[in-house]
Amino acid sequence: MMLIHVNKYDTPECETLAETAKKSIRTPDSLGLDRCIQCGACTASCPAARFTDYSPRQLVKRVLENDRSVLEDESIWSCFYCYSCNLRCPRNNSPVTIVQVLRQMAINEGIGLERLAYFVEIGEYLAENGASKIPGPGVRNMERDLGESWIEFKRDLESIRAELGLKPRDIRDTGSEVRAILEGTGFFEREKWIRAGGRGNVSALSHSASPETVNRETASHETPQCGV
Amino acid sequence: MKPIENVPDRKLLLFKSCMVSQEYPGIESATGYAFDRLGVDYFVNEEQSCCTGIGHYTDLFEGLTTAAIAARNFAVARRCGYPNITCLCSTCYAVNKEACELLNTNAEVREKVNSIFREQGMDDLVYEKGDMDPRSNFYHAVEVLLSKVDLIRENKQLDFSGVKAAAHHACHYYKVKYQDVVGNPENPQLIDDIAAACGADMVRWYEDRTLTCGMGFSQLHLNRNTSLQVTKAKLDSLKNAGVELMLHMCPNCHIQYDRYQPVIEKEFGVEYDTVHMNIGQFVALALGADPYEVCGFQTHSVPLEGFLERIGAL
Repeated sequence: MMLIHVNKYDTPECETLAETAKKSIRTPDSLGLDRCIQCGACTASCPAARFTDYSPRQLVKRVLENDRSVLEDESIWSCFYCYSCNLRCPRNNSPVTIVQVLRQMAINEGIGLERLAYFVEIGEYLAENGASKIPGPGVRNMERDLGESWIEFKRDLESIRAELGLKPRDIRDTGSEVRAILEGTGFFEREKWIRAGGRGNVSALSHSASPETVNRETASHETPQCGV
Repeated sequence: MKPIENVPDRKLLLFKSCMVSQEYPGIESATGYAFDRLGVDYFVNEEQSCCTGIGHYTDLFEGLTTAAIAARNFAVARRCGYPNITCLCSTCYAVNKEACELLNTNAEVREKVNSIFREQGMDDLVYEKGDMDPRSNFYHAVEVLLSKVDLIRENKQLDFSGVKAAAHHACHYYKVKYQDVVGNPENPQLIDDIAAACGADMVRWYEDRTLTCGMGFSQLHLNRNTSLQVTKAKLDSLKNAGVELMLHMCPNCHIQYDRYQPVIEKEFGVEYDTVHMNIGQFVALALGADPYEVCGFQTHSVPLEGFLERIGAL
């Protein structure tokens, strides 16, 4: 089972990783993937390469070789999305946006969902309040890291905001529009998929058919074709 | 390159940032204080939602959701007559600018977003190609402040002479849409030029000047040790350069350096003397703002009292 139906613009179904990367809305139209000369300016500029095994140069090479095992490589989750490689590439390639596509492809196959589960409550919070927040597990980690002074500040946030002439809570006046948008784009289907660890019940789209069948059909009908 | 002369001072929608609001609200009030004194026409609209940046870059939101939320915020900006979206957060800036480009150039995505709006009875949100211009409708607050640098110099009430400072220009301002940046994206100087006008002694090059803050969206939370190593690398460079004040332009970087500096000191057995503030807080302070009632320094983790006393702000 895959989740392409709510992610088809990030991960258009194509014959090769390179074509998917080029067609994805996560990458720029001018993406210089085919122009890569493996010079390594990306890796030389990369904070993740400096401290981990991640190598944007290698990642691009594997994409060009259509090596799909890259989707299961832990290192794709090490990129900081700092765009240093995007800035420095002399061929207008953009490993940082390519790795975003690879992560989305991995997610479609149920890989890395435990990482997304950490942040998943941001969606409902956005629908409800029109704002984002540090998610619950993040708050607990920050409480542990930052201690009593931060916890105390968060407790006083509303009165500090009022003192600064700001509204006391970060809730926006979005009516129900943001929730309607998240419903319309299929985000809540994706949320279910993440919460269920890829064994999700995506039956909201199905009637009598199994979710697997529906998803495959949806993918084949709706996924943009690459023409390659 | 974005000419500074083209940065508008009218009809600016001061785009609310979730991390500013929840971690360093003084950045919003201080920027507003500075804009008021510099004659900038701006508006804060509570109808504007989060840009989705945190969810987008933790891979939670797919691109269609991000584009649709952006299109709604563009409608909010146009509807209130303040279409020049001016961000306090570099990620809001990049997300909005990229979404605008996508909506203008990808008819399929634009139509899909509009069909969602129509199906949900929100026809007034429909985005037509060219409703916004990715180059002329999107700014970062630091660009607006730089465009007023002469006024800041003339009206400053606090002089930062003798303060050794350095800038951290946020990655999502100058590395995402790097062809549309004020100055050279390999060596951005926006913050440096503003601070120098207030007398600060700017260290314009230090090791790792262009290194990311290390937050990396999911990295701080899921690869914490690597994240803090990156942050430490830059703090070490600042220490070696004798920098006492680090100036920021993004709340995410600000969290990473200000909140986590004491954590890094403890875990890595190091000590830093650097204090942190946003360039909006710095300019407000220079123009005479109260450090607590306007700049909101009481929300910071690294105490600023010693520094503020020394420069005569307390």
